Amino acid sequence: MPLLQIAEPGQSPQPHQRRLAVGIDLGTTNSLVAAVRSGLAEPLADSAGQVILPSAVRYRDGRVDVGQAARDAASSDPFNTVISVKRLMGRGLADIKQLGEQLPYRFVEGESHMPFIETVQGAKSPVEVSADILRSLRQRAEGVLGGELVGAVITVPAYFDDAQRQATKDAARLAGLSVLRLLNEPTAAAVAYGLDQRAEGVVAIYDLGGGTFDISILRLTAGVFEVLATGGDSALGGDDFDHAIAGWIVEQAGLSADLDPGTQRRLLEAACAAKEALSQADDVPLSHGDWKGRLSRSHFDSLIEPLLARSLKACRRAVRDAGVEFEDIGAVVMVGGSTRVPRVREAVGELFGRPPMTDIDPDQVVAIGAAIQADTLAGNRRGGEELLLLDVNPLSLGLETMGGLMEKVIPRNTTIPVARAQDFTTYKDGQTAMMIHVLQGERELVRDCRSLARFELRGIPPMVAGAAKIRVTFQVDADGLLGVSARELGSGVEASIQVKPSYGLTDGEIARMLQDSFRHAGDDKAARALRELQVDAQRLLESVEAALEVDGARLLSREERAAIDEHMQALRALLDGDDGSAIERQTKRLTQVTDAFAARRMDASVKAALAGRRLNELEE
Amino acid sequence: MGKPCHFALFDLQPAFRLDLDQLAARYRERVRDVHPDRFADAPQAEQRRALEQAAQLNDAYQTLKSAPRRALYLLALQGGELPLETTVQDPDFLLQQMQWREELEELQDQADLEGVAVFKRRLKDAQGEVETRFAACWDLPGQRDEAERLVRRLQFLDKLSQEVRQLEERLDD
Repeated sequence: MPLLQIAEPGQSPQPHQRRLAVGIDLGTTNSLVAAVRSGLAEPLADSAGQVILPSAVRYRDGRVDVGQAARDAASSDPFNTVISVKRLMGRGLADIKQLGEQLPYRFVEGESHMPFIETVQGAKSPVEVSADILRSLRQRAEGVLGGELVGAVITVPAYFDDAQRQATKDAARLAGLSVLRLLNEPTAAAVAYGLDQRAEGVVAIYDLGGGTFDISILRLTAGVFEVLATGGDSALGGDDFDHAIAGWIVEQAGLSADLDPGTQRRLLEAACAAKEALSQADDVPLSHGDWKGRLSRSHFDSLIEPLLARSLKACRRAVRDAGVEFEDIGAVVMVGGSTRVPRVREAVGELFGRPPMTDIDPDQVVAIGAAIQADTLAGNRRGGEELLLLDVNPLSLGLETMGGLMEKVIPRNTTIPVARAQDFTTYKDGQTAMMIHVLQGERELVRDCRSLARFELRGIPPMVAGAAKIRVTFQVDADGLLGVSARELGSGVEASIQVKPSYGLTDGEIARMLQDSFRHAGDDKAARALRELQVDAQRLLESVEAALEVDGARLLSREERAAIDEHMQALRALLDGDDGSAIERQTKRLTQVTDAFAARRMDASVKAALAGRRLNELEE
Repeated sequence: MGKPCHFALFDLQPAFRLDLDQLAARYRERVRDVHPDRFADAPQAEQRRALEQAAQLNDAYQTLKSAPRRALYLLALQGGELPLETTVQDPDFLLQQMQWREELEELQDQADLEGVAVFKRRLKDAQGEVETRFAACWDLPGQRDEAERLVRRLQFLDKLSQEVRQLEERLDD
């Protein structure tokens, strides 16, 4: 096969060894994997040529379906098919009830407070479900790129809190991926646009995905992307548009609000289809059972107006936080499938006083940016083209103080990494221990903030109240993850904690899941081997086709041509199947029958090359 | 101070009047070399050092970028940290503070967004004026009391402008 790929003189056909790294957009509705190949970042397609992997996982007896097949089964098998799992990441059962929607799953509580979903394959945590999606993307990438990955950049909504970030990292670990960096989605989008356009100045990224909304204000200067402010709503997205339409259908059709899971799913699917159609049409027909009706775009616009207003409010707040004026913002970038809704584009355009940018596919832009950053972090970029991303922490971090108040130690929108210390003292004579309660949020009262961790500093030497000096240090790393340590300065007594989110996994749960994933490792390996054979075969077919087009008529007899065509056809027929050894055998045969052709092409090209040069050049 | 001076990190002389664009440019230069992303697959010890250095650089940059924090830092460099709580001997300013707060409450009661905008401009002018006075006296011997008084005014004005922002957010609801 290599013989057929003829390189121009002075150009090596094999670029220098690159370290394989990918960017993954692990989305609520859809997920993608992208990589930089030949200097260009692009999404990687599966064997059917599909770039988008629906974020749906169906657990069946003895197998797991990920992607479209699972999404298609969502209504017929709602209990075992998990969609929009991203909304459950890092959440407790109580939070999920607060999401205010009816989820069709049967939840059980795990060792920690993390919710598990009961399926035919047993209880599955949101982390495991996400890991199944990531594993599928990893296998795709390794097949297409032809080797093991050194790591991945995985994107998360900027507004994800510590628990949600940690859950995402856990999922990657379960999927066998090494995380080079968790990257905020809007920042990734800015990278994709920034590289493309070599822009400088202040940019707003409006990212309305399936389940989350993010707004970020960034300044781009000389290859440095500085996030000035970020905000959003981790429970607002295009899914809510679907729910709004579904609610309207329920009302119009006079259905009772208490619907079985299958009906709910069908309603939501119909709603989603209507939403998508309304991006083009002014008016769509809808039906459910005996009920038939029409939804106009203007009525749809009014249904989503309250949701849109929430996103615009977050935009105004982010602009204020960034310390800039609307006039300073030179461009507004749209990210996420939900920004295809015309009313969304219009409202954002009105707020920022300029039409938003939509050049890069809003579904792919995040994965593309992540791939560029992964390429940088894997060390494939050097010198001037290297990018630096300076992110901020999205929410304030602090401690509980007397009276149930939250004392902020690191305010929101502080550039990370960051370390900050605050001194406290004892309030009772002879006090030897101090409780440290770590919180995240913007509210004054502890009960309105999210509790991240509690730990105790013990062994403080007994002193009078106020004499001990306890320094609590918060450190946030470049992934936005927090570590807290406390130290009594007089005695040097110390305690620290890498913040374990309250709704994270316990070590026992992680151990069990890792075991499970080892059990599936055999299947994974076989699947990867098959995928690699398919990719090799596909590459061979493409290069033979290309060679035939150029030189087939000139260098081959009719019989030779027929033999090659026949073997190509046989290989194509095998490609979609899962018989690896047959694919391997046929690939070899095709290589054999094209050997003579390849040799003739080589001769011809050497002659052509020699003919184009002067003699003295050859002698040197 | 055990740590290197914030100004020295950016090759700058301690001063209140700073070219913020130059500071930002130097920050971007320095942070390129120490950011943890440059050490994504370096040994753990190097990663930890990068994290510490980047955190320190970020802290220095945030301190110098903000006028009240820069002023406070300069005084700490010169003559030790300011006591956290002290009785403020600044009756004129106390009176003005009260007036400002009353005005702000009134603006809130009337949900007067235009009035808030005017208030913000006045606040900005007042900040500029105090900054000019501070710049002229902070490094003069015998002016320490005056410099401390001005820093506290700057801190108050900064807090007030945060409150104005919170008010804007509430009125936006």
